[in-house]
Amino acid sequence: MQPVNPVTLSPWAPGLFSLALYTAIVVGLLALLLILTRWLGEQKPDLEKARPYECGVIPTGGAQFRYPVPFYLVAVFFLIFDVETALIFSWAVAIEDLSWLGWLQISFFIIILLVGLVYLWLKGGLDWRPQSIRKALPPRS
Amino acid sequence: MATPVYTKGVTTPELIRGLEYLTRPRFEGAVPSGSPLERTLDWLVNWSRAYSFWPLFFGLSCCFIEEITAWTPRFDISRFGAEVLRGSPRQADLLIVSGTVFKKIAPVVLRLYEQMPEPKWVISMGSCANCGGMYDCYSVVQGIDQILPVDLYIPGCPPRPEAVMQSIVLLQEKVRSERPTRKILHLAGGSQGTQTPILVDGLSKTRDSRGPGYYGTPPRGSEETPPMFWDARSDLMWTPPPHWIELSETDQSLAKILSEKFGGAVIQAAQTSDLLTFEVAPDRLKDVLRFLKTESEPKFLRLDDLTAVDESARREREKYPDYTLVYQLLSFDSASRVRLKVPLAGPEPVIPSITDLWPAADWYEREVYDMFGVLFAGHPRLWRLLMPHDWEGHPLRKSYPDRATDMPPYTHYDAQKHQPRDAGEYMTGRLAEDQYVLNIGPHHISTHGLIRFILALKGEEITALDTDIGYHHRAAEKIGERQSWHQYIPYTDRVDYLTGVANNLTYLLAVEQLAGIKVPDRAQFIRVLLTEFFRLSNHLVWFSTYTHDTGAMTPNFYCFAEREKIMDIVELITGGRLHPSWFRLGGVAMDLPPGWKELVDDFIKVFPGRIKEFEALITKNPIFEARTRDVGYLSKQDAMEWGVTGANLRASGLEWDLRKKMPYSGYEAFDFDIPYATAGDCYARYLVRVEEMRQSVRIIEQAANQMPPGRWLSDDYRYIIPPKEETLTDIETLIHHFINVTRGAKMPRGEAYMATEHPRGEQGVYAVSDGLHMAYRLRFRSPGFANVQTLPLMAVGHLISDLIAILGSIDFILPDIDR
Repeated sequence: MQPVNPVTLSPWAPGLFSLALYTAIVVGLLALLLILTRWLGEQKPDLEKARPYECGVIPTGGAQFRYPVPFYLVAVFFLIFDVETALIFSWAVAIEDLSWLGWLQISFFIIILLVGLVYLWLKGGLDWRPQSIRKALPPRS
Repeated sequence: MATPVYTKGVTTPELIRGLEYLTRPRFEGAVPSGSPLERTLDWLVNWSRAYSFWPLFFGLSCCFIEEITAWTPRFDISRFGAEVLRGSPRQADLLIVSGTVFKKIAPVVLRLYEQMPEPKWVISMGSCANCGGMYDCYSVVQGIDQILPVDLYIPGCPPRPEAVMQSIVLLQEKVRSERPTRKILHLAGGSQGTQTPILVDGLSKTRDSRGPGYYGTPPRGSEETPPMFWDARSDLMWTPPPHWIELSETDQSLAKILSEKFGGAVIQAAQTSDLLTFEVAPDRLKDVLRFLKTESEPKFLRLDDLTAVDESARREREKYPDYTLVYQLLSFDSASRVRLKVPLAGPEPVIPSITDLWPAADWYEREVYDMFGVLFAGHPRLWRLLMPHDWEGHPLRKSYPDRATDMPPYTHYDAQKHQPRDAGEYMTGRLAEDQYVLNIGPHHISTHGLIRFILALKGEEITALDTDIGYHHRAAEKIGERQSWHQYIPYTDRVDYLTGVANNLTYLLAVEQLAGIKVPDRAQFIRVLLTEFFRLSNHLVWFSTYTHDTGAMTPNFYCFAEREKIMDIVELITGGRLHPSWFRLGGVAMDLPPGWKELVDDFIKVFPGRIKEFEALITKNPIFEARTRDVGYLSKQDAMEWGVTGANLRASGLEWDLRKKMPYSGYEAFDFDIPYATAGDCYARYLVRVEEMRQSVRIIEQAANQMPPGRWLSDDYRYIIPPKEETLTDIETLIHHFINVTRGAKMPRGEAYMATEHPRGEQGVYAVSDGLHMAYRLRFRSPGFANVQTLPLMAVGHLISDLIAILGSIDFILPDIDR
């Protein structure tokens, strides 16, 4: 393990200084906005204002309950494809350095992805319609 | 003094003078105060607030149609910085209470108001929200200012869209006179939002419609009060008997069969004004109904209507039972109806439920229980339907007070206390472990009014659906028992606020049928002309809202622009917009004005092209098709049995239109087709309604071109109001005019039911007269009531987003469902 060079981590190093300043401004601005929005303005808290809005009536039951699987599936599909998009983007940025070999590798990767997508499609993973409708569509004239 | 222009060389005193000018008090009597900095901040904040209101997308009844019209092309409220309606109170700062505030909805209005962030403003729009207006009845709060603080009142019934724009301008003035800085910085003093308090009846406001200084006069100008109308002078008058009809051969043979089969349990009424009527013993009722539905020839497949009459205030009390239940059936085969009247005795009579025979009887029986206190043995869930669940008493009983001003005032406290029934109670026993309950409505953009759907959901899939109606119950039927026959006409317009005079027509046809009043040809044609215009106007609103619900915004602007042209024609002819109240017993209020033909001709030339444009936008739009095809399927058999009517029935494959099958008001003279489809889904309902618009244009064209000359009002002056000019020529006419305008015409004792092919389906009016100057009982058979009751058949198993499409495709409106 290499010893850390104290110079490279100094906040006065040109690269790090701007980063530190940027961070400070972001944090400061956020804090200011949060404090101002919290403090400014008239506040009249009461029971009704704190209650969840549900078309004007008092909601039944809580918001924490077991969500059905379809929601979970969609979340997982999204996550997978989203992360993979990030990989493709990073390849696109470095496309010249990676040359044709990189192109071949990413093509292989995309094909695998497409196969996955086709599999999902065929299995009905993207069909958001409820089971009952999928099974028995009414006769169409 | 002109606004100073800021240039580089401006000096400090000039700057201060300029700021003083800009921040000057806008309201008379307001004194400028505070430091220049504070006043500058005030000005800045007020300026930003006044020109960017965020109104809540919230409407109660008729007024909302005029309110929303202000958002459409001709009026274009975005010029005033109040463009974007917010769907949730969390994002809104302006509440426009547009329409009637019902006691059942008042807790919801209060909650929405309280869920809006500070500061917030309230505009009360229309007579009903201001003071109850013409609805001094048990179900209506006499002024929103009793439960919420109000900044501005817009008078009118309903106010025009221009009035909404003026109210926004006035509210901007008001906002610019506020001192928000001190409130914003948590300093003492300052002002923002509504400053007026909630008003209290007897202290800071009065519900007395007589106004101050008139306490010596009897309330409402007459000593005659319902239910008994003691010493009514119409008791002393004579009328001919009601108009009796000849029964058809089918009716006569049916009467014979019934009397052979059931003997003395079924007694045919000796004479009738409208349709075949029987009196049936309560214990044989179900057998008779079952026979009529399944065995008789013709079969009566549809339970057309089910209602009751409280007979306790009859003039000849000994001739009547305590209550009469009225079952009305319709046969599609023979295009005929039959009425069964069941006498009931006792204060809380019990009768077997017929929900096993007709599932559609569910709501009808609940309504009769709610309104009359008649119990139905074997009903799966005999809850109140229209009134709030914690309501006391049965409003359509004769002993029940009809006026809100005869009851204690509805206050802020009441609105906090009487909450709607918890959604969980509706779904008891219908929920699996991983399901949850969601309310859609009573305040929701896609419910098109005050109705509440309670959904049991598995993910987004609807597994059970229940409907809570009555949030728009305006006591139309009870009011009919106190307004004279003529005075009631304006109330009919408001039974379905999108179809105006089409409602007048149904009511008048029933009364004219009862009294045998002959309507001249010209009047018939004028009635048809205007009714069809209102059908177009209604279908345009339907088109814009339905497509909006399924994701298309553009048709909104196109449709409302066309609708304004129809409103222009309506206004030229009648002087009114939404509620012309322009038909009269025996005809119409006046002759057609000069220039009507040119306007109608122009319209006929342009409008078919517009329908093509609308269709080009939507009909083959893949998004629209994906949202509506195979969604909300309703089978033909279900549609017939559940009493579904109008375009919804025709979209399920039945070619049934009262204008053809049971013609009225001269429709037999017109050449048009009945559009229908067989798919029974949301898309089919769309296609049928669009085609109906084309057929309406055909009818309008024929009516305009063949408009017969002659009188536009009957000369049967016993019942109708003679034209004023004629009263100046002879004393007889003058006397009739005087009597019929002041006390009201007396109608012969009897009853009549008439139904019309209303833009929304079959609307019927059952008018019962006890020989007085007002109805003894007035019943509306509403198309929406039956159509919406079938919603679980269409929506269960679909997704929430499909429900929105289905709601739009049914085309219902709440005053029509709740009356």
